[in-house]
Amino acid sequence: MPNIAVYIEQSGGAAKKVAWQMTAEARRLVDRTGGEVWAVVLGDAAAAAEAGRHGAHRVFTAAGDAFARYDAETWTRALAAFVAARRPDLLLVGATATGKDFAPRLAARLDAACVSDCVGLDFDGGFKLRRPIFAGKCYAEVAVDAPVAVAGVRPNAFPLFAGGGADAPVEGFDPGLGGFAPHASVVETVTSAEKKIELTEAEIIVSGGRGLKEAGNYKLIETLAATMGAAAGASRAIVDAGWVPHSHQVGQTGKTVSPKLYVAVGISGAIQHLAGMSSSKCIVAINKDPNAPIFKAADYGIAADLFEVVPALDEAIRALD
Amino acid sequence: MKIAVCVKQVPDSETRITLAAPGPELDRSGFTRVLNPYDAFAVEEAVRIKERLGADCEITAVTIGPDRAVETLKKDCLAVGCDRAIRVNEPALENAEPLQTAKVLAAVLRRGGYDLILTGKQAIDDDSAQVGPMLAELLDCSQATVVTKLELGQGVFTATCEIEGGAAIVRGSLPAVITCQKGLNEPRLPSLPNIMKAGMKPQETLTCADLGLEIPAARTRITTYSPPPPRAACRMVAADDPAAAARELARLLRDEAKVI
Repeated sequence: MPNIAVYIEQSGGAAKKVAWQMTAEARRLVDRTGGEVWAVVLGDAAAAAEAGRHGAHRVFTAAGDAFARYDAETWTRALAAFVAARRPDLLLVGATATGKDFAPRLAARLDAACVSDCVGLDFDGGFKLRRPIFAGKCYAEVAVDAPVAVAGVRPNAFPLFAGGGADAPVEGFDPGLGGFAPHASVVETVTSAEKKIELTEAEIIVSGGRGLKEAGNYKLIETLAATMGAAAGASRAIVDAGWVPHSHQVGQTGKTVSPKLYVAVGISGAIQHLAGMSSSKCIVAINKDPNAPIFKAADYGIAADLFEVVPALDEAIRALD
Repeated sequence: MKIAVCVKQVPDSETRITLAAPGPELDRSGFTRVLNPYDAFAVEEAVRIKERLGADCEITAVTIGPDRAVETLKKDCLAVGCDRAIRVNEPALENAEPLQTAKVLAAVLRRGGYDLILTGKQAIDDDSAQVGPMLAELLDCSQATVVTKLELGQGVFTATCEIEGGAAIVRGSLPAVITCQKGLNEPRLPSLPNIMKAGMKPQETLTCADLGLEIPAARTRITTYSPPPPRAACRMVAADDPAAAARELARLLRDEAKVI
């Protein structure tokens, strides 16, 4: 009868999508095994009211000025205080920039098991967590040998709760901060000039590679991405060539992504790139060379000149609506 | 200033993992091992700080690994400007999980009184991205993760960290653990003469017993390695007429795959 706590990360007063994906998956699990799902909200309690609808049985909130700006140490202490008081068997944290920043620190403080980037969650007397390693070239099933585990969950790994949750009672908890002052904190966040969709959170990604021939042609990718409501990605080759910043890179030394749809344009499919995107649900490859390895990973392929196909695809998608 | 750089030797990113069937073991015999690419940014950053500060700065490269890890320390750390190296050699820690690694590294680092601890944002084998923040907690100090720019002042640092859709500026006091991301710098390559000279720099090999430490217990266990889920064969869309091909693809994505 495991109890699963879920940290509800918020951004701009709203819960991140991954938070509700986690409560949903935790609920599906405890509906089978017994136990409860507890949503944990720090600072702004706006998300607390919604948690029940997304599968949580109970909601715990901690308020205070200390949560006005993020730092890893305050978050670590507050969630360690929650774990000490309520003893969940598993604490789920979204594998976002913030989650990845504090979750390992929290696990070290609790001397807990820590598993990153999970895409599967099961319980059979003990937790079994499934995660890609080597950027997705291989999957590992991880067993927990500790009384509590902290697990990061990859965004978009799980669907939302469809079971029609009920309102959940909300209760405060003491984060045990006293006069604690962290050694470091975030003093400012900077959003990139154009409000772009983040690769790791995107449902659709359009990526470009060497086949684009020159830096200026990357705008073909950006245009198609805009039409599809997608994030724009890139292969290592064109990042290393300086055409686009590294934050666009998909692959083993870039971002590992699992969108609903991945469109690879002018990308041959080096193993390094395939590793980062092969867990996408649907993969489309557009490449002149019919023997390019990318077609082995793809669900749909067009072997033709991208400079003809991409503008035509942009038009065809606009025409759909 | 005393800087420690924590590095790991990993299979290179071109490595193929071939698993015929799920099982509890991974065949690592064919792996070509290199310095973790993100750790290279940490080494380079340390060397650049030393070049700015001059003689008043010492860089220690630290790793946990078997004898083959000596090559990484020598070629990728000492030969590009690190001053000394410490290796913890414990067969029981081969394939250690991050918390075991962090506990052992913390024991090494506590002996050194370092002002700055640099490491990669993650290793490209287990992709855990845990050791940096764990070290910061175990050493009770500041952290900044996935850093693309680092500025140091008197006892303080300002780091630019990559976050979703932008950057977070983190300011804190030293000592600090900084995990490094591509974009922070361009790592230099070692020269042959420097690789030769690197062998003369001080290198220490320790065991957990030397550190007064019992080998930390693992909190997790990999029970099964399995290949990625298989994919169906690619459906090629006839491409004689690009416009027609594009229309057919759009239709398939909407009506068959239901992804747009």
